[in-house]
Amino acid sequence: MFSKLALKNVKRSLRDYSVYFLTLTFGVCIFYVFNSMDAQYVMEALKGGNNIARIIIQLIDVISVFVSVVLAFLILYANSFMVRRRKKELGTYLLLGMGTGAISGLLFLETLLIGLLSLGVGLALGVFLSQFISVFTASLFAISIPEFHFVFSPRALGKTVLYFGVIFLVVMCFNSLSVSRCKLLDLLQAGRRNQELKVKNLGVSAVLFVVGAVLLGIAYAMLLTRGILLVDTLFFVMLALGTAGTLLFFLSLSGFLLRVCQANKKLYYKGLNMFILRQFNARINSTYVSMTVICLMLLLAIGITACSIGLNNTVSQLTSAQAPYDVSLSANRYDPETGEELPVDIPAALKEAGFDPAVQLSRSAEVELWQGQLCVPEWDESLVEHVLPLSSYNGLRSLEGLEPITLEPSTYLWVVGVEDEWMTRLLTDTPSLVANHHTLTAGGDPIHAVLSIGYSASPENYLIIPDEVLEGAGDWDTSKMYHNITYYCANYRTDVPKEETEALLQSVISDYYRSVLGEDAGSTSFNTKLNIYMETMGTKILVLFLGIYLGIIFLLTSAAVLALQQLSQAADNQERYAVLTRLGVEEKMRDRSVYVQVFLSFFLPLFLAVIHAVVGMTAANAAIAQVGKLDAAASSAVTAVFILVVYGAYFLATCWGSRRIVRGR
Amino acid sequence: MEPILTVTHLQKYYGARSSVTRAIDDLSFSVQPGEFVGIMGASGSGKTTLLNCIATIDRPTAGHIIVDGADITAMKNKALSKFRREQLGFVFQDCNLLDTLTAFENIALALTILKTPVKEIEPRVKETARLLEIEDCLSRYPYQLSGGQRQRVAAARAIITRPALVLADEPTGALDSKASRLLLDRFEALNREQQATILMVTHDAFTASYCHRILFIKDGRPFTELIRGEDSRKDFFARIIQVVTLLGGDDRDVL
Repeated sequence: MFSKLALKNVKRSLRDYSVYFLTLTFGVCIFYVFNSMDAQYVMEALKGGNNIARIIIQLIDVISVFVSVVLAFLILYANSFMVRRRKKELGTYLLLGMGTGAISGLLFLETLLIGLLSLGVGLALGVFLSQFISVFTASLFAISIPEFHFVFSPRALGKTVLYFGVIFLVVMCFNSLSVSRCKLLDLLQAGRRNQELKVKNLGVSAVLFVVGAVLLGIAYAMLLTRGILLVDTLFFVMLALGTAGTLLFFLSLSGFLLRVCQANKKLYYKGLNMFILRQFNARINSTYVSMTVICLMLLLAIGITACSIGLNNTVSQLTSAQAPYDVSLSANRYDPETGEELPVDIPAALKEAGFDPAVQLSRSAEVELWQGQLCVPEWDESLVEHVLPLSSYNGLRSLEGLEPITLEPSTYLWVVGVEDEWMTRLLTDTPSLVANHHTLTAGGDPIHAVLSIGYSASPENYLIIPDEVLEGAGDWDTSKMYHNITYYCANYRTDVPKEETEALLQSVISDYYRSVLGEDAGSTSFNTKLNIYMETMGTKILVLFLGIYLGIIFLLTSAAVLALQQLSQAADNQERYAVLTRLGVEEKMRDRSVYVQVFLSFFLPLFLAVIHAVVGMTAANAAIAQVGKLDAAASSAVTAVFILVVYGAYFLATCWGSRRIVRGR
Repeated sequence: MEPILTVTHLQKYYGARSSVTRAIDDLSFSVQPGEFVGIMGASGSGKTTLLNCIATIDRPTAGHIIVDGADITAMKNKALSKFRREQLGFVFQDCNLLDTLTAFENIALALTILKTPVKEIEPRVKETARLLEIEDCLSRYPYQLSGGQRQRVAAARAIITRPALVLADEPTGALDSKASRLLLDRFEALNREQQATILMVTHDAFTASYCHRILFIKDGRPFTELIRGEDSRKDFFARIIQVVTLLGGDDRDVL
């Protein structure tokens, strides 16, 4: 009998609170999908190169803890909402002589059943979905999958079951506690209790609205002028201002709207407008806090998703620019006692270690990077820049398959990677420069290209000068020039797979490190295109997946909370709508009023969050522009689709659910 | 004169075939325009069911209800909504005001649903409020009003659309005697000054004594009919008590 009752209740709950069940299922599904990353093909491919695969899995583990906390709160919230709605029913059980223990048991059994059901459905959905994700990520890496291979992660399964098991256990305890603390009278009269109606002065609302708008304006201005990366006391002041502004906005918005509409009698006294606005205004008193939280959560969801997608595009654009050659080695060596610089011979060191450059490489270039203080007599100023002798630059050009350039004696040429204020001035004025006592004039057009000798991520500017200018340079005090690093850039042989050459190089690299520096002090670096590629792709996956993971969870949580609130309000409004029906309001008109109310509560937070996000992303763009351009259009489009799908689904479900409740079916 | 409401052979059964409850079992009567008619009966006699059928909240099993020449038992849902908002006004025991709207807006809502031009709304609400003596509480919310005031606001909402028929279901049920008297005074005034046709269901003899005519129902059938005629309210009240006693069971509620 007992289990039959529980089963019946669960069946009814599934129908009445399908939003709750759907949210649970989605939560489980997403949790599994992201935790099952370790079982995907891509991870196998990534494991070869470096430890990025481990980092991805570790980060997902850490974030999953955070996500499970968010989900736990969501589930607790949804559950307490359901118990509140069922107070009268629980009161009836008590009245019939059921003990609180038995009722707790009943709720326990119900939660267990719903938990098991959503866990089962969610996991099934998750396993199904992870097949697609696996194929998708493999395609990102251009990894060909020989045949369909079922992806399944027992580790993720165990983890999902464990985490959600704990969450449901907490929910069960919470239920028992709330039932045992309830008084029978309160339970039975739960439906009859009047809602506390606090009506604020409308004039106050208007003032609050203006104050809120001003606070937001200040926060926006601060963000745009200061940038997003400067984290200090003022940054938190800015966050506080933004939050307070948002709070005031929602607190006063309905009153403000009401005031504006009341001034326009034609609008106010039209159909159910008066009723809708009053409803909205009456409710905002109890919902403005949650609306603020939801707005901020949506902001996080939008921001994280958009930034991760945008960054991801930026990162992949960078790969080829960042690593134009198959391999780049660098070294600088100096006497540990005198600090005097010593020459390095990278090809010889490689040969000594067992990797013969003459055999394994198709083309190579030795590059001497200098650092020089250049005087600009015309301006009476000086600047410090990277300097490359022409021969080194031509060596790099030949690696990229470009024709060598020539430079007249006593002229210079700029290779411009980033056009900052200085560069613009230098390019327009074309002043003569003094380097190592030689006066050089501008020769030839500047070349706009990103030169990535040591695979640096940020583009830089280089001054190309004739080799002879550097003769005798090296002592900073006399020449204002010093030799920075020797690079050795090369392309692998083309007749052997690059992976083989790379493996050979990797196997001897520690020997090379030893031989290149010998007994002296110094530093050396080694980077290959394949390595960079793996790292970039790993970062790409990391950024993309973590961003989408968090974005979806935040979006899901906010949408679910809104949906539950709206459904509970629809139930509260049932009587008001019954009155309207008696007054002769048609079903169509009534439905419209329901939709408008759901629409307002869903899209007002979204609206403000989007404005926040636009401002925030403008600021973020300014910060990211240092690395590369954030692809705003593409990331916005993808984010918009994301939001439309998840948020829109909840919106529609809530509209239908509310309509059904109001119609009393 | 053409009757405003005609009920013929009305029947309303509840339940399945095996256990039928006859809430209304063959009831016929008619109401003339401008009449103030009361319907009395013990609990379970079918008076609320009757009112619900006329209010189109419930559908009768058989029979016809004709309001202002239109048979409402044959109407579709959409037509019913139109009929309700144009021809009927309701006053219920629990007054059914919308708690989020002010008294003024509650009354005005009945007009906005009818798509009344904006210019007319304010003067009409004020005029109706004057009639019901609630002018000074128009800007308040229902929870700030007394029970009697709320009931009069509900009455104002019911008559502002100038309906063919005002239906009142136990309007004094939740009021003390002073508030009841005030409300009924206003009902009388409405009936007298605006020629509003009022059909009021009650089980309270005092409330009923304000009516011109009272139909008594027992077990879903007409029991008897009292017409006030030239009687004073006190005499009419005494006659009502006699019938109530005869009906039995309900006399405890009188005092």
